[in-house]
Amino acid sequence: MAIARRSVIMAGIATTLAATGRRARAADTIKIGFTTALTGPFNEFGEGYKRGIELAIEKLNKSGGVLGRQIEIAMMLDDQLIPDRAVQNMRRVLDNKEIVGLFCPSGSGPTLAVIDMVQADGRPTMNPQAQTPTVIYPGGPGTKPRPNVWTFSIQNDIEANFMAGILGKKFTRIGLMNESTGYGKTGGELVKSGIMKINKDAVVTHESYNQKDQDMTAQLVRVQRARSDVLMVIGLGADMAVIRKNMTRMNMTIPLYVSAGGFSPPYLEGVGDLAAGTRGSQFRKISTVPPAPEVAEFLNAYKAKHGTDRLWGTDPNVPAPSMGGTVATGYDGMLVMADAWRRAGSTDPAATIKAMDATSGFKGVNCTYEFTPEKHHAIEVGDLTTYEYTKIDGKIALVQASL
Amino acid sequence: MEDFLTLLLAGVSVGAVYGLIAIGLNLTFWTTKTMNFGQGSVMMLCAMLTATMVAGGWPQALSILVALAVIAVLMVFTETWTVRPALKIEGSMGWAVSTLGVGIVLQGLASLWFGSQALAFPDIIFTAIDNVVVFGVHVSLQYLAVLVLALALVVVFEALVRGTVWGQAMRAVSMDQDLAAVIGIPVRWIVLGSYIASGLLAGISGILVAQIGGTVDPAFGFELVIFGFVAAVLGGMGSTTGALAGGIAAGVLQQMVGGYISSAAQHGIAFALLILILVVRPQGFFGQREFVKV
Repeated sequence: MAIARRSVIMAGIATTLAATGRRARAADTIKIGFTTALTGPFNEFGEGYKRGIELAIEKLNKSGGVLGRQIEIAMMLDDQLIPDRAVQNMRRVLDNKEIVGLFCPSGSGPTLAVIDMVQADGRPTMNPQAQTPTVIYPGGPGTKPRPNVWTFSIQNDIEANFMAGILGKKFTRIGLMNESTGYGKTGGELVKSGIMKINKDAVVTHESYNQKDQDMTAQLVRVQRARSDVLMVIGLGADMAVIRKNMTRMNMTIPLYVSAGGFSPPYLEGVGDLAAGTRGSQFRKISTVPPAPEVAEFLNAYKAKHGTDRLWGTDPNVPAPSMGGTVATGYDGMLVMADAWRRAGSTDPAATIKAMDATSGFKGVNCTYEFTPEKHHAIEVGDLTTYEYTKIDGKIALVQASL
Repeated sequence: MEDFLTLLLAGVSVGAVYGLIAIGLNLTFWTTKTMNFGQGSVMMLCAMLTATMVAGGWPQALSILVALAVIAVLMVFTETWTVRPALKIEGSMGWAVSTLGVGIVLQGLASLWFGSQALAFPDIIFTAIDNVVVFGVHVSLQYLAVLVLALALVVVFEALVRGTVWGQAMRAVSMDQDLAAVIGIPVRWIVLGSYIASGLLAGISGILVAQIGGTVDPAFGFELVIFGFVAAVLGGMGSTTGALAGGIAAGVLQQMVGGYISSAAQHGIAFALLILILVVRPQGFFGQREFVKV
């Protein structure tokens, strides 16, 4: 009986020591946290950037971590791209004082909803996907950035300049549709003003729609009535599929241009062969053949862990450029933040912010990152290129194209 | 003229689907004065099951039949476990919470089983390319098929209600359950049948809408049920013809406002006009004023 009691006591002590050890080891890790759209109809973005962060952490931890410490995702919450939920989640993340690095939610709506409290909190925050410029520059592009937030996405103003350059030079009567979110609204307004700057005679018919609308006949009739020669849509893949099918039903044969978000997997899955001829802008570097060494490393790691799945795209050899926005922005964001910790020699927010602002020549998957205290975005027009869905050997593929 | 006809056809077709949803809501309202607030999830589940089975290589018709069979079983569960217990307490609104709860659980289960991303929904009978030219206007066969099928279902349903013993029994139950039971009508089965029929109509509506959009996800259906509810109220609660007319009115109004006034304010203005109609005629198009003898 005495032996049994001693065994229980020893086991208790061992368990306590093990738990304490685990806690000590966990306390030693560098912790990051975020809320994103892990589920819901637009989860290709949240799931994608989560995978990107995980791949980056695995790479960093394999090589000994940062500052001698392993990195871990301490909190990862699901907001389904719903702003209210993103606010509640981010509050919980910010309440965890052990977290030293943050990521913004997917999408401009949820990010705009949390960004002021993130700025007030002051911890370094990477923005992988929200495109609205006010996420980074509250006074608009060209003004002072939020001191603790950097973006890895294509800012709307950059994409708008790129697309306006193509559309304004090529067409005069232009139909423009955008989803009624922060991303869509600012994107639509910026593309419109960009077109008008390039082509003063342009007639732009500007319409909007709600995410997840199942019918867009009314908007398309207005574009058709204005005798538009082209339609540009700023939105996400699932809605883009509804628009493309609607156009086909109405026998609208004008060219369709889509924003980077519209090239996400649900578009091709929803329309199949009807995607042929759809054009738009996307990241250049990720789908360039042969890939740069840093891109090849990322792609090999992705293939090894996830295979050539829906986020990768239809060609097993070359990833869909949308992977630059869904996965690689999270990957690049994590690596750049880790590089800043390394250069700062600390994860202290003030030291990290200073190091982030001194980021220079960091070769990422989507571009070479350069940040300064005045410039908190990295993707420029030169990092984008034009793509077109084309049928090759009976299969639809997204290929770089001169438009 | 071409624009008008395009908008009209789209409005009538989508509106007919609102009408089908409204008839489904009416059915349970007749028999139990309750409505299934989880109807949107029923639409979603039927469409997602169909999409998954077709993607797995099953024949389309068989996939639809199996999906509808699952919906029928689900509605038996909903009526037996969530509605009936709540109705035992007079005046209880527990059924509203419990049916809504079933809908939310279904959304969660769909995310778990099928994944939370949008699934591609196959074209049924016609594709988006198929159309006919009528008076110079390209008329989509997908829209026409939706309209014809919805109208056919309403006609069949009305024939069943008016021309069969079960239909008569259902009308009797809708008027007075106690009296119906006294004269030997199996009230319990009639109520259960109304829930099953309501679910089947919702399932068919889900399939019809999903093939128009091309994708379906676990959040699918919620907004459609709101429009179905609007159609039911606008047409006059309890009236099948009214539900169809209300649905078509809501669909056409939405398209016309979007096409001729503002696409941004499409839903807002359409709803404002619907409120105005109800102010003028609170009982809806085909509803009758109720008088209570004191």
